[in-house]
Amino acid sequence: MSIRFENVRKAFGSKVVLEDVGFEVGSGECFFIIGASGVGKSVLIKHLIGLLRPDGGSIYLDGEEVSRLTEKEFFSVRKKCAMVFQNSTLFDSMTCAENVALPLRKHKRLGAKAALKEALERLDTVHMREFANAYPPELGDGMQKRVAIARALTLDPRYVLFDEPTTSLDPVSARRVDQMIRELCDEVGVTSIVVSHDLRSIFGIADRICMLYKGHVRMLGTPEDFQTTDDPVVQQFINGRAEGPMEV
Amino acid sequence: MSAATDPWPLRAPRLLGATALSIGSQVGGLVVLLARIVARLFPPRLDRAELLRNLHKMGVRSLPIVSVTALFVGAIMVIQAAPLVTRFNAREIVGWGAGFATLREVGPLLIALMFSGRVGANNTAELGTMVVTSQIDALRALAIDPIGYLVLPRVLSMVVMLFFLTIIGDVVAIGGAMVAGKVLLDVDPRSFLNSLFLLLDQWDLMTGLIKSVIFGAMIALTSCHFGLSVTGGAPGVGRAVNASVVAAASGIFILDYFSSFLLG
Ligand SMILES: Nc1ncnc2c1ncn2[C@@H]1O[C@H](COP(=O)(O)OP(=O)(O)O)[C@@H](O)[C@H]1O
Ligand SMILES: [Mg+2]
Repeated sequence: MSIRFENVRKAFGSKVVLEDVGFEVGSGECFFIIGASGVGKSVLIKHLIGLLRPDGGSIYLDGEEVSRLTEKEFFSVRKKCAMVFQNSTLFDSMTCAENVALPLRKHKRLGAKAALKEALERLDTVHMREFANAYPPELGDGMQKRVAIARALTLDPRYVLFDEPTTSLDPVSARRVDQMIRELCDEVGVTSIVVSHDLRSIFGIADRICMLYKGHVRMLGTPEDFQTTDDPVVQQFINGRAEGPMEV
Repeated sequence: MSAATDPWPLRAPRLLGATALSIGSQVGGLVVLLARIVARLFPPRLDRAELLRNLHKMGVRSLPIVSVTALFVGAIMVIQAAPLVTRFNAREIVGWGAGFATLREVGPLLIALMFSGRVGANNTAELGTMVVTSQIDALRALAIDPIGYLVLPRVLSMVVMLFFLTIIGDVVAIGGAMVAGKVLLDVDPRSFLNSLFLLLDQWDLMTGLIKSVIFGAMIALTSCHFGLSVTGGAPGVGRAVNASVVAAASGIFILDYFSSFLLG
C-alpha cells in the first residue's frame, strides 16, 4: 500500500472538519475522493504534502510516516508527490511558460533557456502552447487549470493529488484531463488521488472511490459498488438529487 | 466576560493589555521572520530572476518619486533656515546648515517614509494576495521555500535600493537647497558648496546612510511579515497593508531616535 491515512483528525478552532478518516491507496491506483462541498476533501489531501498538519492520527506515504515530518523534511516528499490545487495557483507575475519552467529551474538545475524549452513541450501536452507567453490573469479558469496541471507534472512525480481537476473545464478539455490522469496511472505507474464532483470522471476513470461525509469515510469501494449501494446518502449524492437524507 | 460587558473602569486596562499583547506578538513574528531570513543567507541561494525583477521594480521605478521628494526637502530646509540666516547674517554657512540637517536626518527619514508607502505597501499587498490565492502554498507544494525564493530577494532589494535611493536623494536635496538658497537668500552656489564641503565631515553623510540601511531592513521585514501573515481574503490584504505601513513608520521613527542617539 503506498498511501495510508489512519484515524486522521483535523479541526480549525472549534470546527471539527475531519473526525476520524482512514483509507489506503494502492500503488498505481486512480483513487477518487468525493463528498459535498465543505466536507473537507481539500483539507484531507493537503495533509499528505504537509500543507496542513493533522491534530491526530498518522499518514504514510511510501511506507514513511509523513505526518511527523518537519517543513524542511517535507521538501523531498513534495518532489515525488505533486498537487494540482482546486483554484488556479499560477504565479501572476510570470507567464505560463515561466510558471512551468520554475520547478525545472529549481530542481532539475536547468538553465533559464533549457527550462523554457522544456516548459513549452510540457505546455503542448495540455494544449496550451499557444498561450505560453500569456500571463495567468489573462486566461480563463479552465486554461489556467491546464497550465497548473502541466506545472505540477514537471518533476515527473510518482504521486499526484488532483483537487477538482475538471471543475470549470469545458466537456472536451475535461475528458482530455480524465484521459491524461488515466494514462499517468496505466502507462507511467503514477498513483493519483483525485478529488472530484464530476460524475463522468468518477465513473469513467476511478479504480476506487471514497466518499467523505460528516468527518468520516461514509463508503469505500469500486464504481460498481457505488452504483449498486443501498446507502441512501451515497445514492442521493451520486444521483445528484436535491431531496434526501443527506445533511449539508 | 467579554470586553463589551465590562464595567467601564475595566475596559481601558483590558484594551491596553490586548494592544500590548498584539504588539508583542507582531514583534515576535518579526524576530522569527528575521531569524528565518538570516538562516537562508548561509549559504545564500538567491533566485537571480526574482532578485533582478525586484531590484528594478523597487529601485528604478521609485526614482521619480524619491527625486521629487528630495528636491522639495532640500528647498524646505532653506526656507525654514531663512529667517535665522537673515537675522544673524549667516549666508556663508547656509550650505552647511542645509546639508547637515538633510544628510544626517531629514533626507534618510523622509525618503524611507516615501519608500515605505510605495514599495513596502506594494510588497505587503503582493505577498498577501499570494497567500490568500494559495500561491504560497503552491510554492511549498513545488518544494520551493517561500522564504528563500520570495522573501530573501525582496529584503535584499529593499535594503540595497533604499541605500542607493538615499544617496541619490541626498544629492538632489542639496541641489534643491542650493537653488532655494540662490532664489530666496541670494546665496551664491559657489559659497553654498564651499561651506558644505568645508564644514561637513564624512561622518555626517555616513550617519544618514547607515540609517537608510536600518530603515530599509525595517521596511523589508515589516512588509514581508504582514504580507505573509494575511488571513481572511481581500479585506485581510487591505488590513495587512494598513498595519504594515503604520508599523514600518513607527519602527522607522523609533529606530531613528536610537540611531541618532547612538551614532552621535
Ligand atoms: N485554513 C483554514 N482555516 C479555517 N478553516 C478552514 C481552513 N481550510 C478549510 N477550512 C474549513 O474546512 C472545511 C472544509 O474545507 P475544504 O476541505 O476546502 O472543503 P471541500 O470538501 O469542499 O474541499 C470548510 O468548512 C472550510 O471552511
Ligand atoms: Mg475543495
